[in-house]
Amino acid sequence: MSAIALTIDGLSVDFGGFRAVNNVSITVFDGELRVLLGANGAGKTTLMDLVSGKTHSTQGKVFVYDTEITNWPEHRIARAGIGRKFQVPSVFRDLTVRQNLEVANCRNPSVLANLRFGFSRAEARRVDDVLALIGLEAEHNMMAAYLSHGQTQWLELGMLIVQDPKVVLLDEPTAGMTQAETRKTAEIINNLKGRHTILVVEHDMGFVREIAERITVLHLGEVLAEGSVEDIERNPKVREAYLGTKGIS
Amino acid sequence: MSIERKFQIAAYVLFIAVIFAAPVFGDEFWLNRISKYLVYGMLGVAIALTWGYAGILNLGQGLFFGLGAYMLAMSLKLSSPTSLQQGSDKPVPDFMLWNAEPGAPTQLCCINKGSFLWLPFQSQSVGLVLGIVLPVVIAGALGMLVFRKRISGVFVSIITLALVLLVRLIMVDAQPVTNGFNGLTDLGWLTIGGIEFDPYSRATYYLCAVCLSLTLIGARLIVETRAGMILQAIRDDQVRARYLGFDVSLYQVFFFVISAGIAGVAGMLYVIVAEFASPTFMDLSFSVTMVVWAAVGGRSSLLGACIGAILINMIEAEVSETEALVEAWKAIIGLIFVLVVLFMPRGLGGLAHDVLRQFIRRLRPGSVSSSLQQQSGAL
Ligand SMILES: Nc1ncnc2c1ncn2[C@@H]1O[C@H](COP(=O)(O)OP(=O)(O)O)[C@@H](O)[C@H]1O
Ligand SMILES: [Mg+2]
Repeated sequence: MSAIALTIDGLSVDFGGFRAVNNVSITVFDGELRVLLGANGAGKTTLMDLVSGKTHSTQGKVFVYDTEITNWPEHRIARAGIGRKFQVPSVFRDLTVRQNLEVANCRNPSVLANLRFGFSRAEARRVDDVLALIGLEAEHNMMAAYLSHGQTQWLELGMLIVQDPKVVLLDEPTAGMTQAETRKTAEIINNLKGRHTILVVEHDMGFVREIAERITVLHLGEVLAEGSVEDIERNPKVREAYLGTKGIS
Repeated sequence: MSIERKFQIAAYVLFIAVIFAAPVFGDEFWLNRISKYLVYGMLGVAIALTWGYAGILNLGQGLFFGLGAYMLAMSLKLSSPTSLQQGSDKPVPDFMLWNAEPGAPTQLCCINKGSFLWLPFQSQSVGLVLGIVLPVVIAGALGMLVFRKRISGVFVSIITLALVLLVRLIMVDAQPVTNGFNGLTDLGWLTIGGIEFDPYSRATYYLCAVCLSLTLIGARLIVETRAGMILQAIRDDQVRARYLGFDVSLYQVFFFVISAGIAGVAGMLYVIVAEFASPTFMDLSFSVTMVVWAAVGGRSSLLGACIGAILINMIEAEVSETEALVEAWKAIIGLIFVLVVLFMPRGLGGLAHDVLRQFIRRLRPGSVSSSLQQQSGAL
């Protein structure tokens, strides 16, 4: 059996009495792609906030491989090997597409180490490759602010790919996308599969079937079920939890 | 190299050539005035560096300018031949003497309780070194405090604003040591390696021109490093930058400190040129004025902010010749500021950039795809 890349152990957070995430334990194996499913407000984004250090947990632990990263500052968690894509796409709007990727390409994060000009040929090639992968070659010199919504999402994915973290957290990477855009995103994510350990929040079941191996269902801040796509679709508890919302379609 | 890049470099070269050629065009009084404007140009660069590139609007830049100014002014006061106690081998600033308690020893060490602070300034190098070190250290400490706590946006502006007012108050209050409201006047000349910097000499003008040129080129180079790019990324989205592994506060502190260092040097140059240091350097209005220069010139354009500072001051000097306009000037500059913020947020630098783009497009149709969408890298 392969190593465990991400361990979430009994994680909870308390927002003034309200437990948005309650005693959640999930282990994700090295190279696995895990889908996080759950209705709006189930606590998926909050769970990612906890893992990536944006929000401090009140209980529980998080490990990347053997390193405990519970409640570390964000930049140290990032350096420990966790990359994150936000639900609302966030890129550097006043930099060009290429510069966005270049920023992600600065391996040594210290100020003094970055007091130098330009990038080596190998580093530039890496950016070129990712530009091709996310299909933004023609836009490479465009300011990120002028990208379409879908393109912005891809750019953020591209930044993650350049950053090359061991574990990638993706929060609704296809939100607001057209069908064609969603398909391309699935392609990009499938390309990441195997090379990175991925935890992805997704609503679109078509998309989930295309990419998922295992699914964890969150409901009201707790883990409701875990299993393969078929298991989850058949699971009566999941069906019940989704009753009253739109249900898994 | 793109055409735009060539124009950019040409603009810098042209500007530097013009300021070095300026002494041909006027007498020493005019030159002395232009020297001051060059110093203001440095302040424009310092503001653009933090405001435009780091998104940090410092409303207390006068603090670093003032500290630099006072440090050198203390040294120059002690080398003034006319203002010191007559007939003593241990000179004491005149104002200390006038205000001394009866019977106090007329020695710099102990004429009053704080006068010993002046002792190291008997050496001009101490004033010169502290004029940059003190602003840098204070900016570093302030930056660590503010940026580590993730204070950003308008709160940074308010803190810097409060700090400059606080220090101004202390400077005025510490009358026995600083001469309070009156500031330090009747200063000697700076002497480096046998060259005396007479404020009305070409040597002094060239000193300012060299410092401004080095500041411009240095600032330009540093924003073009990877660190400069990361700083702009941080300006656009701090959270995103953190998740790429950057310790955001260190970048902010680093560039905040550089900006303070530039302001400190500007303060020293101003003292050499104007022959006084005054608490008015730390008036709120002066710090705000610097921001106006940078806004009009273009906050995300180092050269633009520099030229903005120089131009506004040249115009102001012209306007002041006409008596009726002196009072109106404040309203005019306020109006210009509002108009620029509303209709030309990228200032003159941005305007120059857009005009250049149009020009290139006419020149070589198709060479620039769609003007708006390309990088808006300013001059
Ligand atoms: N900082 C916070 N303070 C209080 N409540 C919060 C906070 N962040 C999230 N919540 C609440 O936690 C619940 C889970 O939210 P979220 O994680 O965004 O859900 P999801 O991403 O699954 O749609 C919601 O009810 C939300 O209102
Ligand atoms: Mg969410």
